[in-house]
Amino acid sequence: MNAVALVIAFFLAMALETLPSGPVYGMIHPDFVALLLLYWSIRSGSELSYTVVWLIGLLQDMVMGNVPGGQAVADVLMIYALVNGLVRVRHLSVWEQLVFIFMLLFAHRLIVWSWQLWSGPVSWHFSLLLSPLMGALLWPLFTYLLDYLRHHLLASP
Amino acid sequence: MPALFFPRRYPPLLRVAAFVLLSIVIAALSEKHPNMLNWSGNLTYPIHWLDLQATENWRKVSEYLQDRRSLLAENAQMREKLKTLEPKLLENEILHNENRQLLALLDSFPQPPGKMAVAQVIAENFSPGSQLITVNLGSRNGVQVGQPVLAAGGVAGQVIHVADLSAQIALISDLDSSIPAQLAGTNLPLLVNGKGNIHWLSVPFQPRNTPLKAGDQLVTSGLGGRFPSGLHIGTISRVIHNGDEPFAQISVQPSVPLGQLTTVLILLNNNTTSRPSKP
Repeated sequence: MNAVALVIAFFLAMALETLPSGPVYGMIHPDFVALLLLYWSIRSGSELSYTVVWLIGLLQDMVMGNVPGGQAVADVLMIYALVNGLVRVRHLSVWEQLVFIFMLLFAHRLIVWSWQLWSGPVSWHFSLLLSPLMGALLWPLFTYLLDYLRHHLLASP
Repeated sequence: MPALFFPRRYPPLLRVAAFVLLSIVIAALSEKHPNMLNWSGNLTYPIHWLDLQATENWRKVSEYLQDRRSLLAENAQMREKLKTLEPKLLENEILHNENRQLLALLDSFPQPPGKMAVAQVIAENFSPGSQLITVNLGSRNGVQVGQPVLAAGGVAGQVIHVADLSAQIALISDLDSSIPAQLAGTNLPLLVNGKGNIHWLSVPFQPRNTPLKAGDQLVTSGLGGRFPSGLHIGTISRVIHNGDEPFAQISVQPSVPLGQLTTVLILLNNNTTSRPSKP
């Protein structure tokens, strides 16, 4: 994949994460960086480096002001789980893929949430489910959009 | 894609475990040294700058798309509001002068408000537990860790990280936030804690026979010297006396609309340098 396009995509995804659009957006928006990592991992197969994934997660922690390491660990574990189930994912129907993506995003969210315990007690909130749900629902649109951009604008194979 | 730290000859599980361990070390270090990652604000500033541009442009587009009728209605509404506010402003001025005269008689002048800076919100993080905003002023503008942050209505939060061009603020609703407070008009010392929810705060450790009741106003007490005294924090919305609990459960509605902040005021003449302390 085009490295410059990837850097720009991650830059935009991180900007979307912290867009000042109020608490409702903050609660329900999907984790765009995690979605992009999943897309990148599925499309590039085994090319993805855990080091790069970890560094992206660490940068996201800094952007969001979270306890550092939470996003980084969640990203690395999510990609590890995906890579191990990748062969099976490719043969799943769209709806089955949605469930799989939801489970990955939810596990990702739980790890990030647990990581916040470093700084003190964090209460459970139902919105922890909303973001992964939105991510899974947007997954078909997200992949279609990125596939379109890759094939029509970047003209990459 | 080249493997930067851990060559691919190591098994994937080992590489993953190494990154988990590394992350734990970084998290532990950052908890021990809260100012360790202040520099990261410079690294992430371009992303926050992009957020600011997107918000500004969206605001301009929204304003442009507003039709003439809605603008006229808004104008009329503002004029009506001004009519009610003008007498209050006059009354406030009279009270202020009277207050100064009384304080002069008591020989205890209030501290001057000091230097303030208006900052624009450029990023938000409203995940459960974290209630953080990032503003477009940093150490180059005199912002320091620990400085109080105000907004229309009262106290909004406190600066927790500072980079050259930006600063991160923990809102009073953040789980780590705790402000020394008192009931308005009394000297009853209280604490107001964040609960990780922008709509309500809590007052801990109040006995079941507490004199606090719904509708009471809470203001900063000035204890600890971090926040000036007398700033509005919020209004008590609910007091629950549960028979099984040793303390009353007190909910406070913040006086500042924490979810709609676009600009905030930072009190610059505060020289403290530590994170907000937990109760």
